[in-house]
Amino acid sequence: MEYILHILVIACIYIILTLSLNLIVGYTGLPALGHAAFSCIGAYTSSLLALNAGLSPWIGLFTGDCVAAISGIVIGYPAVRLKGDYLALATFGLGVIVYSIAKNWVSLTRGPMGLPGIPGFSVAGFQLSGIWSYLLLVLVFVAITIFIINRIVNSPFGRILRSIREDEIASESLGKDTTRYKLLVFIIGAFFAGIAGSLYSHYITFIDPSSFTLIESITILLMVIFGGMGRISGSIVGAIILVVFPELLRFLGMPSSIAAPMRQMIYGLLLIFLMIKRPQGIMGVYRFK
Amino acid sequence: MLQQLILNGIIAGSIYALIAIGFSVIYRTVKFFNLAHGIVYTAGAYFAYTLTISLHLNIILSFFLSIIFAALLGIAIDRCFYYPLRKKSASNMIFLLASFGVFIFLQNLIQLIYGAQILTIRTGPVKEGHHLCGAVITDIQILILVVSSLLLVILWLFIQKSKLGKAMRAVSDDPIAANVVGINPERIIMTSFVIGSALAGAAGILISYETNIEPTMGFSAILKGIIASIIGGIGSIPGAVLGAFFLGLAENLGIWKISAGWKDCIAFAILIIFLLIRPWGFLGTKTEKEKI
Repeated sequence: MEYILHILVIACIYIILTLSLNLIVGYTGLPALGHAAFSCIGAYTSSLLALNAGLSPWIGLFTGDCVAAISGIVIGYPAVRLKGDYLALATFGLGVIVYSIAKNWVSLTRGPMGLPGIPGFSVAGFQLSGIWSYLLLVLVFVAITIFIINRIVNSPFGRILRSIREDEIASESLGKDTTRYKLLVFIIGAFFAGIAGSLYSHYITFIDPSSFTLIESITILLMVIFGGMGRISGSIVGAIILVVFPELLRFLGMPSSIAAPMRQMIYGLLLIFLMIKRPQGIMGVYRFK
Repeated sequence: MLQQLILNGIIAGSIYALIAIGFSVIYRTVKFFNLAHGIVYTAGAYFAYTLTISLHLNIILSFFLSIIFAALLGIAIDRCFYYPLRKKSASNMIFLLASFGVFIFLQNLIQLIYGAQILTIRTGPVKEGHHLCGAVITDIQILILVVSSLLLVILWLFIQKSKLGKAMRAVSDDPIAANVVGINPERIIMTSFVIGSALAGAAGILISYETNIEPTMGFSAILKGIIASIIGGIGSIPGAVLGAFFLGLAENLGIWKISAGWKDCIAFAILIIFLLIRPWGFLGTKTEKEKI
């Protein structure tokens, strides 16, 4: 039971990541490949504040999001000036840069040794220790994320995002400052990815750079594409299926030295298959142009 | 110290040049970022390992056999995965993601077969290198420099002089017009995959004589290859060579004062600076800029 609940918590964290990436990739049509960088920044900020300054995880969560959002400006600024493949490559590169900072700035992040003993959340003086209470907390955040992203994509702002996705020149000709909107989308996406990273770090109580590699970014992108580009329900379904399904490999009695590459191989094949057969995903409305 | 760093930069640059040129040759005909190119490089190293260590073949024979296997792998990837996408005239981004899928799949397949640990081809004891203007160069590093420059010259002659090379340039300039004058684009794409993959395989084999090999080695290699091609001017072969040596030197001089872990960071910082300031690279034409 513990195990199933643990998988559910992880799935919920991925739902937040997938939704925030879907806003950038699916709704605005920007092929960003470095999403794990934002959750990395959120997770490290939040954990370092809790460990070194002894601040409450709530303050860490909030600061972590804001720092992630600021990094969204820094990363988005060069990225949104590029198109297509080059944007993908630049965000890729920025993902590598954030990863290697986490890995090489040993005096701050302890590098590959990671940060152990990150404190968990507490609500009104009670330490959240049981996995049930954690699931509840994460579900609240998932609900908030779904609510806000739903409001964003159904607002006039969301309509502009979709117009950028469908025809950027046309929306520019109607007087929309598309660069500004794309940057805003990066900031919002980074903010929610920061929440996910912070929740993850306080739940697992240990983080190291290997949780935020490029493969991780691609996994999140695969969840977005698999579920459906530009659809909120798609992201939820995609994240849940792709978190739960590889766990079934464990029940087949595979040792982890085989199960880990096996899982990646399935992801790789799934990505190829989707690109050939259905590039918009199960219930998506957009495919890469 | 400085001389050693420059020498290391030149050696790294010659490996990057092989990867970058292979990548550019493929890019010129198919016009997408083929990330699976990196796994051909890894596979080249593992083919060499299997043939030399497991099957005890002669090292020269295994070198050539591994190059042939790498070229066959390149064709197989193209036929199995890219051909169906070409039939649907998919967009560049879809090709890029599919090639990343191929990369992840094959990298983990290699890991499943050989395990995640590092392997080494080197058998005998490590010999002391030769001293050259204050730097130390080993026999294998000399071999890398000689073989890679030889391959570069052969490739240059092939593309400039041979009929097939001319057809490749024609397809890269204008695929439709090339088709009109009777050049079969599928045949040219296959040729470019053969040449590109053979070069990537050769780079992988050469590096396997110099250092240890591991399944994840291709990722950083292909990224360096792409960065070298972009800063040299995407699609330009002399540009790819120039970009590769520039990148190799910049990386190795950059870590003069800081730890070697920052190499990837330096490479991508250079890429982003180039994308913002001079996206068409050193030798690229400005028309490419419109796509960026």
